[in-house]
Order: sequence, then structure tokens, then C-alpha cells
Amino acid sequence: MKMGWGIATSCLICVFGLALWLAVWGAAPLNSRPLPMRDALGPGPGFFPVWLSIIGLSLGALLGLQISRQPAEADTRSLIPERAACARIAAILALLAVAALALDPLGFRVASFVFSLLALIALGIRSPVRILTFALAASIGIFHMFYYWLKVPLPIGPFDYILKPLGL
Amino acid sequence: MDTLQLLLNGFAAALSPGNLTFALIGCILGTLIGVLPGVGPAAGTAILIPITYKLDATGGIIMLCAIYYGAMYGGTITSVLLNVPGEAASVVTCIDGYAMAKRGRGGTALGIAAIGSFIGGTIATIALVAVATPLSTLALRFGPPEFFGLMLVGLCLVTGLAGRSLVAGILMTVVGLLLAMIGIDPVRGAPRYTFGVPDLYDGIGFIPVVMGLFGVGEILATAENPVRDVVRTNLSRLLPNLEEWKRSFGAIMRGTGIGFFLGLIPGVGAIIPTFISYIVEKRVSKHPEEFGKGAIEGVAGPETANNAYANASMVPLLTLGIPSSPTIAVLMGAFIMNGVTPGPFLFTEKPELVWTVIASFFVGNVLLLILNLPLVGLWAKILEVPYQYVCVGTLLFCVLGAYSINQSVFDIWVMIGFGFIGYLLRKLDFPLAPAVLGMILGPQLEKSLRTSLEMSAGDFTIFLTRPIALSLIVISLVILTVSALQLAPKEIREGSAD
Repeated sequence: MKMGWGIATSCLICVFGLALWLAVWGAAPLNSRPLPMRDALGPGPGFFPVWLSIIGLSLGALLGLQISRQPAEADTRSLIPERAACARIAAILALLAVAALALDPLGFRVASFVFSLLALIALGIRSPVRILTFALAASIGIFHMFYYWLKVPLPIGPFDYILKPLGL
Repeated sequence: MDTLQLLLNGFAAALSPGNLTFALIGCILGTLIGVLPGVGPAAGTAILIPITYKLDATGGIIMLCAIYYGAMYGGTITSVLLNVPGEAASVVTCIDGYAMAKRGRGGTALGIAAIGSFIGGTIATIALVAVATPLSTLALRFGPPEFFGLMLVGLCLVTGLAGRSLVAGILMTVVGLLLAMIGIDPVRGAPRYTFGVPDLYDGIGFIPVVMGLFGVGEILATAENPVRDVVRTNLSRLLPNLEEWKRSFGAIMRGTGIGFFLGLIPGVGAIIPTFISYIVEKRVSKHPEEFGKGAIEGVAGPETANNAYANASMVPLLTLGIPSSPTIAVLMGAFIMNGVTPGPFLFTEKPELVWTVIASFFVGNVLLLILNLPLVGLWAKILEVPYQYVCVGTLLFCVLGAYSINQSVFDIWVMIGFGFIGYLLRKLDFPLAPAVLGMILGPQLEKSLRTSLEMSAGDFTIFLTRPIALSLIVISLVILTVSALQLAPKEIREGSAD
């Protein structure tokens, strides 16, 4: 756990360092310009980000110091879960990414159906009937509730001409 | 028009069939969110915001508030039957609630929790009615320096009470504030950290971040260890016997007071009142040895404090426009999305709306009692739904909720990214609440600081020459100092003692 805190603190220091660098000097390739600390009326757009970055960097360094002084055996919990848990977490993240990529091109119904189907399999459900029933009910049910009843605009995708006549 | 007349008008509107239905739906959905481990009230409320898009502002806000306090009660059910808190404020209920369930008195534990929640919530709402108008009138005298001081107090409280390391708490607050810097500068309109990406010009959406940190992050944590063991307990007897009533009455009254007063302070969070109530009950009890083994006061006090806190925490939101917890911050976001800006002007600009919402709190408390006592068996059945279906259903709602705010896939990516970050930070015990509050208060904090400095031509002594602002800044420093002393490593304290 000590190593985990160390890594997290290092990442935060990098984020604050990057924020300070971008605010003070900008970065042309990233289409970022320096933010002025002051302007004619008082504190400028750079005032808050620069000070926050400096405070963040100082606190990050302080936390890093605190962590380095902690005894190594203080907390022996592992940051990395067991293999099966890792697989489940990776599957959830990967499938969420697939759902995000598929949402606009395939529409909500198809994307959420595929997501539910694969996620249930990845999480250990083995009954095809249950998987299909849940995936169909969840994707179509949520779509109908939000798109038709609550009028929330959702992507309908290229298969609407097939799904709509079927009442889906 | 006096407060009572405004409240009566509010009741007339809150009891209209439409608003009553929204409150009922909100209570059901909220309880469901609380019951499902892996969906906390912050993420649950955020996920369900799209449901309110097509409602009028009053109906939408009534439903979201009902979801909030419904979730606060729903968490009790999992605490008692699973020993897993449905939301953070129910952690302490696990101790005696679960012990009662194992002794076959789970029904009584849930019954007294529902009754205590009802009493605590109702009394807190009466007190809210009493303090709302004077507080909002006082807040109307606040200028930018005073608002800066007030927000600083809120952030310091959240930070100070956040976790095992004060430095980590402050660091997370700064992360939240820095995230709020992305987008257009609120004072001059200059783009900051946008890199020419159009999606970033409006800033990083607060709702996708909350859904990620609290929704996806929690689901990932649940997926790591998905085994749940529901206790089979007697749910047929819900009402306590005479002896239990006697023991619970004082606990309920004390819980109401603790929950209400701590709910008034921005940043305290829902966990603190429940723990304080538990400690107080253990101290004053004639049977302290029963605590941890199924003492009914250990359920009645904290559960009452929890709901009294939930209702009282609306006071800083409605009167000052300051959210006191991540869930209230989500509610604030929902208010703004419905065209309603919480704060002192709300009582003068939209009195009908605000009093209808306050009246709906009373109605919601009654609905929760009606729903929770007879339907407790049904909620217990929901706990038996395999976690895989809950997990997939919740994630679908997260995707839908993140997308539907701006019809933008970019927000889904934000949610996924913050979901993974939230999972890692949760594993490392980094506090998440300060980051969320920093993010929501960031633009207001910056605006009030910069406006104050513009008023004084860049002179920082403006904060020292205005008594209220100075007092608030001193309070912030005291909070941080006290927190630092409490969290200081043991060896330092021992060293200084030597």
C-alpha cells in the first residue's frame, strides 16, 4: 500500500507540475497559451491555476516526504487484486469503452444490448436464456423509457428501420 | 407573505397529484438505490437526473430530493441484512443492526430505523422552515469576501474530516479545484486548459465525474469481491415492544438534534453525525455492554441522525447555495440544470418553488414511512438479485446518464476515466468527497476571490477588514489546525509531549 501511495502522489505531482507549466508558459503543440496572472482589472485567468498548482506541488512533496518516512511494514495490503478480480475489472472497463465507441455508430439499443450480453458473460453468468432475456429487456426497456416516455434524445443508430417495426 | 402562509401554499402544491407522484417515484427509486450495494446516493442521484429532464423544475427537484432522502434510508436495509452499508452514512448501523438481524430481530431493527428516520426527518424539516428565511435574509448581506470565507469553511471541513491524512485531503481538494479550472474562465471568459478541444470549452462535466468516481468506481470495487451473504432474519415483526420503545425514544430525540445541527454546517458529511450519535448513545446508555451485540439504541440514534442530517443539509444549499456533501452537490447541479440557482435569492425570486420543495420533504418523509414499513420484505428480496445483474444495470444507467446530459460520447469517456481513478483512489483510501466539492465550489470560490480582489484593487486586506469574512477565514484556519493536530502522526505527538 505504501508503494501505491507513492505512485499516486508522484502522479499528482506530475499533474500539478504540468498544470503549472501550461499556465505559466503554455504549450504551442497542445494549442495552449500562457495564462496572465494579472490584467487591468485585477487577478487574471492564470491567478488561480498558478497558485493552485504551486499549493498542489508543495502538498504533493510533503505527502511524498510523509510516505517515505512511513515504516515499510505499516500496511501490507496489496494494491493489485487477485487474477480473477483483475479480469472482471478489466472486462468492465473494456466493455464500457466498447459501449462508448459503439453508441453513436450503432445506436443505444444495439450498443447497450451488446454491452449487457458481453458484460454478463464476463461477470460469470452462464445461462444463455437469462443473458439474452436480461440484455434484451435492459437495452430495449431503458431505450423505450427514456427515448419515448421521457423524450431524452438517444442515438437510434442505423438499425431503426428493422427494430421499430418489431416494436423494439 | 409570512413563512407559514408560504409553507401552506407549498403544501397545496406538493400535495397535487403530479408532485405527489414525483415524490413517490423518487422515494421508491431512492430506496432502491440505497438498497443496491455499489450505487451510493451521489452516483444514484446523478444517474437518475435524466429521468427529470422532461418534468417541470418543481417536479424534477421534488423527485431528485426524494431520491436523495430515500437513498439515505435504503442504505439501512443492506446494513442490517448484509452487513454492507448501502451508502457511507449507514456504516455505523452495520454494528448493531446486523447483530440484531443475526439474533432474529432484523425486522425490529428496520422498523425502528424507519420510524426514527421519519421522526428525525420531520423534526429537522420543521427546524429547516424556522431557520431558512432568517438565514437567507442574513446571506443577502454577504458580499464576495464573505462568500469566499464561507466556501473556505466548507472546503476546510470536508478536507479536515475526510480521512486518515490531512495532506491527502487538502491535496484532493486542490485536485477538484484544478479540475474546475478547465474550460472558460468565469470572470474574463478566457479559455484555460482546453487544448483547442471543443468538448473542454464547457469544462469537465461534474455529473460524469461523480458517476465515474462514485458509480463506476464503486462497481469496480464491488466486482473485486462480489460475494454477498444475506442474513435470513425475522421480518414479520417490525414494531418494537414497549421496552424497546422506551430505550429508543431518547436515542431518536438526541439523534435528531445531532443530525440537524451538524447538517447545518457545510462540509460535515453524513458519516460524522451517525458516528457521534452512536458514541453518545453508548455513553448515556444504561446497557453499554449491549452495544455491538444488537442494542436497539445503536440503530435508532444513528439512523435518526442520518435522516435529520439529510433534511438539515438542505439548509446551507437552499439559503447559501453551498453543498455540504457530494450528493447535495449533485442535487445542486440538478437544480441548476432545471434553471434554479440555489442561494439566498431563491427565497425572494422563486418562493413558490422553494416552499413547495420544502413542503415535499414532509410529504416524502410520510411516504418513506408508508413505503418502508410494509414493503421491507420486498426490499429484502431485492438484495437477493445476483450482483452481476445489478452491476450491468447500473453501468447501463451510468452510460445513459453521462451521455444524455450533453448528448456527448466525450462525457462517457470522462466517466470511464474517473471511474478507474475513483477505484484506485478508493483502494488507496484517498478521500473522494473533497475532490468533488472542490470541483463544484471551484468556479464560485475563484469568482468570489477575484471579485473581492477587484473590489480592493488587489489588496488582500479586504478579507481582514470585513468582520464576517475575517471570522470565517479564522474558523477555516482553526478547523485545519485542529484536524492537523488530530491526524498528526503519533510519534510527533508523543515527541512534543516529551
